[in-house]
Parts: sequence; C-alpha cells; structure tokens
Amino acid sequence: MQKRTLIIDPVTRIEGHAKITIDLNEQGKVDDARIHVTQYRGFEKICEGRPYTEMPALTARTCGICPVSHAISSTKACDNLLAVRPPKAGRNLRRIINLGQIVQSHALNFYHLSSPDFIYGFDAPKEDRNIFNMIKTHPDMAKDGIKLRAFGQKIIEELGGKRIHPTWIVPGGVSHQISIEQKENILRQIPEAMEIAQRALKYFTQSLHKFQKEIASFASFPSLFMGIVNKKGNLEHYDGFLRFMDAEGNILEDGVDPRFYKEYIGEAVEDDSYLKSPYYKPLGYPQGMYRVGPLARLNIANACATPLADKEFEIFKNINNGKPVLNSFYYHYARLIEIIYAIERIEELLLEPETMSDNVRAHASINRNRGVGCSEAPRGTLFHDYEATNDGVITGVNLIIATGNNNLAMNAGVKQVAQAFVDGNNITDGALNRVEAVIRCFDPCLSCSTHALGIVSSKIEIRDHTKKVIEIISRS
Amino acid sequence: MRVIVGYGNSLRGEDAFGVDVVLALQKYPLVNTRIIEAFQLTPELCLELLDADEVVFVDASYSKTNQYALACAVRHESSSNLSHQISVAMIQELLQSVYHHFADICVYSLLTHQFDTIDNVVMYQKGVQDVVTHLLQNP
Repeated sequence: MQKRTLIIDPVTRIEGHAKITIDLNEQGKVDDARIHVTQYRGFEKICEGRPYTEMPALTARTCGICPVSHAISSTKACDNLLAVRPPKAGRNLRRIINLGQIVQSHALNFYHLSSPDFIYGFDAPKEDRNIFNMIKTHPDMAKDGIKLRAFGQKIIEELGGKRIHPTWIVPGGVSHQISIEQKENILRQIPEAMEIAQRALKYFTQSLHKFQKEIASFASFPSLFMGIVNKKGNLEHYDGFLRFMDAEGNILEDGVDPRFYKEYIGEAVEDDSYLKSPYYKPLGYPQGMYRVGPLARLNIANACATPLADKEFEIFKNINNGKPVLNSFYYHYARLIEIIYAIERIEELLLEPETMSDNVRAHASINRNRGVGCSEAPRGTLFHDYEATNDGVITGVNLIIATGNNNLAMNAGVKQVAQAFVDGNNITDGALNRVEAVIRCFDPCLSCSTHALGIVSSKIEIRDHTKKVIEIISRS
Repeated sequence: MRVIVGYGNSLRGEDAFGVDVVLALQKYPLVNTRIIEAFQLTPELCLELLDADEVVFVDASYSKTNQYALACAVRHESSSNLSHQISVAMIQELLQSVYHHFADICVYSLLTHQFDTIDNVVMYQKGVQDVVTHLLQNP
C-alpha cells in the first residue's frame, strides 16, 4: 500500500479556520499528523502608530468571543506604560468582568461545541452528532447552556455597557463605577447560575466512564503547564505571577513577574502554520512544550480558594494522585470547575464594600516606554507587550495568545489521536471526529491566536508518502 | 411585538449593513417594536426574543454576482460547522425546540461579495433606505 495523507479541512466546531493533515505510511498507519492554522491578520502590525489609548478597543477587536480578555491584558499593558495601579474598585470590577467572560466562553464550549460528542458519543452518525439534534433531544440542557452563557454575557453588558467589545475597561481602571441596581441584578442570578453549573459538572463526571479510550489518548502525555497564580499559589485569572510546573508536579519557575515573560518563553515559527509555537526557553524548542488554560490552571494551583470549587478541585486532583492531570480530555472537566469558581468569586467580589467605591480609575501620562499586560483568558495565559514613544504612540506590539501557547500540545495531541484511532485501510467518520475533538478539548480560538480574519470552517486532507493529497474531507 | 435584530461588525464596511439599518430605524417613531444591535448572533439572544411575534434579522450575506441586491431568506447552514457565533436557522431552532416559541422569522440581507469596505456608497445607502422603508411600510 502507498503512503497516504489525510487532510481534515476545515476543522469543525472550533473558532477560526484550520486544517489537519494526516500522513499515512505504506501500511496505512499514521506516520504524522498536524494542525495548520491557515488564516492571518497581523494585528501586531496594525497597531503600530496608534495612540496607546486606542489599544484596548483595537486589540479587543482581535476576537468576538473573548474581547474582554484582550481588553483586560491590553489595559494592564497600558497601566504599565503609565506606571499606575488601578484603585481596588477598578481592579475588582475588571476581575468581575473577566470572570463573566470566563463563564460565558466555557459554557459555550461545553454546551454548544462539545456536548454533542458527550451525548451521542464520538462514533454517532454526524447527522445526529450536532447541536441541532442536541437541541431537539436535550432541550433542558440547551436551555441550561443558554442561561449560563446569558449570565456571563449579562455581567459583561451590565458592567461594560455592551456584550461584545465593551469600552468600559480603560487604562488606569474602568471608566465608571457600577450602581447598586447593577450589582443586585447580577447577584440575583447567581443561585440559578450555580445550580446549572453544578448540574453540568454532575452530568459530565457521570459520563466519564464512557470515554476511557478518549481520556487515554486525547493529548494525554507529559508536558509542562503554565499559568498565573496569586501570592498564595491559588487559582487566579486577573493578576499574579507566572508558575511553570512539570508533568511530575515539580515547580520549575514560580513568582515570575509576567513583565519578564521573554526570559522564559520563546516563540518558534513553523512554515506550515500562521500560529506561532511558544515554548519554555530553558528546555528549548520543541522540548519546552507546555499547556495553558483550565487544565493547566488547576494543575499548577494549590487551591481554588472558594468553597464549592475547592470541593470539586480536590476530586479533580485525585485523578492523578495529586500530580498534574495529563489527559487533555479533562480540559472539559477543569472548565466546568472553573465556571463554579468564577460564579463564587463574582459573588465574593460584588459583596466586597470597596467594589462599589467611585474611585475606579488612576490617571497618569506615559511614564514608561514599554508595558506588559498579562491575564488568564478562557483558553489560557494572554500577554500584551507594547512599546511606545514618550507621547504614547505605539511603536511595537507582541501578543502571545492563549491558544498559541497550546500549539505544540495540540499538534502532539492530534498525532496521538490519529495514531490511536485512524486506520488508513478503513477511515471512519468517528475516527476523524476524534481527531477534531482533541482540538476542541483545548477550545482554541484560532481567530485570536493568529489575530486572524476568516470564516469558520475546517478540512481534513489525506496525503500519500509523496505528500500528494489523495482525499479531502470537507466539513464546512 | 416585532423585534428587529441588526447585526454585523461596525468597524468593517458592508458587513455593518444590519447595524446601519437599525441605526437608521432609530430615527423613526416605531410602535410595538424593539430594536437590537448585535455584533454577531449568539445563543442567549433567544431570551430577548421570547415575547416577539415577529423577528426580523438584518445583515449582509455573501453573493459573488448580485452585489447590492436585497434577499429575504432564513438560511439553513451546515449543522456540523458551528462555532461561537450561530445562524438565524439555529436561533429559530432554539426558539422552537427549547422554548416552544414560534415567532415569524424573516431575514433581510444585503448581498455583497466583500465585507471589509463599502464599494459603492450610493448603492449601499440605497439598500439601507430600502430596508428601512420596507420595514416601516410593513409594520
């Protein structure tokens, strides 16, 4: 038999445009598999020459899904240029809107993008395994998904003025305080949001026994993990220090000020993808592969530090006897625990008296020529790094996007799943779905990560040993 | 009640058609009508449509040949290729299957082959005005 390559293009139920190539050897077994991100935007260049004050609004346009995360990291980079720290109320309000973003984004991944696989199984006919069918057969679950997402979006709207691309987060803090009515509106929704989140977690954990093969092979390998933790080493999404942990749970770096990220993170470029491949510099490329996002955040954290989330965190930590959980299928699990944490934390922050202060913004002029902002976006650690003139005109931008941090791990995961499930002599839709599903575990936002423009679609290509495409499976 | 949802990216060109239509509509005294401006369609939009008898979506759609023609159709797209933004067809499906709400749904689309700029301002503005006029004359 000739060597062949499978190409999955476009990859479905993800955000952005990508294709997967699967190279088969002469026996029809998988030699290699890779994800190629095929869209390009170049936000880093677009931003040059703009005043720093425009950066939060401009970079938020990188994405329609996690604009709040970009606005947070961007304003933090601007704070750094101004050499200011926002007042406590400003910081708390930024935290709340960031957590609202986490809830809505995680809910969408679980209910709308991934649940068809959990409900019908990875081998179900694709005519059944989709959101339309899920709505028909599991309307209550669909309703839960809508309500939970609406909860997160409502927070963004209440605080930011609009659901997508709010301009309320500004250098130095936020533009205005929130009212008692807005606070009460959010607090009123918390019990129902929590009920839904706990129901989703229960459903997922009770379904896990059906997915043992996927758990074992969906990007299940040793790697490093990176994320932000607070001073106590607990889960943190807004501000803190970088922690790098290895697969055994050894902390390689701790207490790293994110402004010095370049000392620890290198960015490699592959010639077949617009998505950069960040790596942990001391181990080099590609050995320095690390994972970010919900799984990594729970792996590196000592605790969540909220009561209900910590209860689930303890169970989660037991999966690998206290060591980091290496199976990327558990990204879904971690995502659901993070939703519970976020709801609890939003309530805590809203109930802090200082959150309601009218002192929400610090004012200053440019005091530094370089500013770095870092926060945890739904998909992982996000860096905005700006250089500016004394007049505040941006002269250089470097963005490391959450999804990009996971690029090496996603590629390794695609290869692992392809080798476990794809047989060149009998290529099934279920096998190809699993190849896509491993990417969905990471919930990549490719539009963000390449800062790209394009339609959402995907494709699988099959290539022979001479790299000739012999089959294309289009999923658009 | 009638709900008019204009959606698109206001920083782009003809992609902003839906947004420009609802902005133009705001100049008129509309009765029993709610206007929603959106960047993209998302599942929770359903919650704002539960009291609507009629929902009108206004946007820009791709057409290689019929630029600036106006079309009205609820498009049924692939059910497998869904992302963080969803289609009118899915909003309709969610309303009906999840909420048992059967509003009349229609779509006003400006056909275009590119979304990033406005090729012909006169034709684009005519499209906006035509939709506004049609919506006002057919309450």
